[in-house]
Amino acid sequence: MVDPIAGSDGKRKCDSVADAINRLLHNLIIKCARGEGVRNFYEVCVIGYGAHVAPAFSGPLAGRDLVPLSEVANSPARVEERHKKVDDGAGGLISQKVRFPVWFEPVAKGITPMGQALSYAHQLLSGWVPKHVKSFPPIVINITDGEATDSGPVPQAEAVRGLTTEDGNALLFNCHISSQPVAPIVFPDTDSSLPDDFARTLFQVSSPLPATMRDLARSENLTLGADARGFAFNADLVELIRFLDIGTRSSNLR
Amino acid sequence: MEPEVQVFYVPKFGNSEEEYEDAAAYQAPTRRFAVADGATESSFADAWARSLVRQYTVQPPLTPPNGTPLHEWVIPLQREWHASIKWDKLPWFAEEKARSGAFAAFLGLHFVGGTAAVVRPSFFGRLLRRKPSAGTLRWHALAVGDSCLFHVRADRLLKAFPLDSSKSFNDRPLLISSNPARNQSVWRAVQLAQGDCRSGDWFLLATDALSKWFLSQYEAGGKPWQTLRELRSSADFTASVDKLRAEGSLKNDDTTLLMINWTGVQTAEVPQKISIP
Repeated sequence: MVDPIAGSDGKRKCDSVADAINRLLHNLIIKCARGEGVRNFYEVCVIGYGAHVAPAFSGPLAGRDLVPLSEVANSPARVEERHKKVDDGAGGLISQKVRFPVWFEPVAKGITPMGQALSYAHQLLSGWVPKHVKSFPPIVINITDGEATDSGPVPQAEAVRGLTTEDGNALLFNCHISSQPVAPIVFPDTDSSLPDDFARTLFQVSSPLPATMRDLARSENLTLGADARGFAFNADLVELIRFLDIGTRSSNLR
Repeated sequence: MEPEVQVFYVPKFGNSEEEYEDAAAYQAPTRRFAVADGATESSFADAWARSLVRQYTVQPPLTPPNGTPLHEWVIPLQREWHASIKWDKLPWFAEEKARSGAFAAFLGLHFVGGTAAVVRPSFFGRLLRRKPSAGTLRWHALAVGDSCLFHVRADRLLKAFPLDSSKSFNDRPLLISSNPARNQSVWRAVQLAQGDCRSGDWFLLATDALSKWFLSQYEAGGKPWQTLRELRSSADFTASVDKLRAEGSLKNDDTTLLMINWTGVQTAEVPQKISIP
């Protein structure tokens, strides 16, 4: 898992995966932040799968599985400082120092026990859904660079998607980071442009986007088919967080 | 010449009073009224909503003596909002979120009486002054976003502003931001309206959940103002809101209603005859 990702100069694929996870958590926290706190609209677990399949938070949350979002927000393993270009309000861009919290460290382990990881997710969520029947169903986001090296992912993916709350079935979204120099594909509605069998398999086990997410994505000018799936190829799914519906957001919020 | 005013509100079910993000304010003697609805996805939106409505009752935009346009009117409020936040004490996520700014829908309504005319002194220094002719009372409203005004006269809905259809409500209205960089598309979208006000008129200002309910009822042939006019207390309002939420006809959201009743108030005067000696 140390081949450079297509199009990213020298950046290891495992770094891209780790960055994607940290940014996903970051975006989710910002989305739910209000005033000086974070509303616990979500509990989150990060499952790493390589030599081991286990909860993979680093730092103070190490070893924890489902953690309330406010606790995730307050307990990164470390906080890096990066720079970001932002609108200065007068038509220009300025470089702003931003804090980049890290909860998950890159790990390259050579094997990909995806089936086992999805089984673990299923086990965790089987305990969660009966206690949260009125909630929005769980969302499992699987980020991988390669094919499963165990019996996964199909039967285990189907088991995860079979879990339900009163609102509907659990969602499984997949993000495949590959070495192939293929342009990014996000939320496709067919597998016809995907370059290999494994990408097509992951597409097939990805849940269709719920109508609310599709509508939100379209209102931000993404072109989506009615059967668009939660799948990305050579792209991460960090932007997906924008389309989770927690209430009113202004159309001039970004 | 003051109307009777009532304000009712209920936070979103599941939220505490502290999490309530709507705001309402009025000044009956100066006849200024406003509601605002802080956006759930923004931070410190409650403080922003409150400052917008409070300032409207102090001095609405686009009114004499300065006729301040809305984009200038908000500037001191944006500064005040920014200064009210203890930036260096905020955790990383709170600081980052707050830097995007707070957002709110905003609806202001005020009433003005008739006009006064002053004639210049004549050649012989005699000042002719015509007494102010009160005429009919007029209302002026300003809106950004989806909080709505409903003007009811003689048991008919005369005007719904700025939205007049229950289908117009979505989750992404344009809202006023406390962050100056986020308002470029807003100024073009400000809605203005005006009309006359007669004795017996009712004006209802409501944030989006109740506005959408109101229009849905009206479109189905109902007279939702009758239900609202019968409210006698906060407990009445809370009970009605709970019932409507339970039956699914009112979205679970902060719910705020400001009602202005001109019944029994003389709103127009007969111009007096002036005799010039």
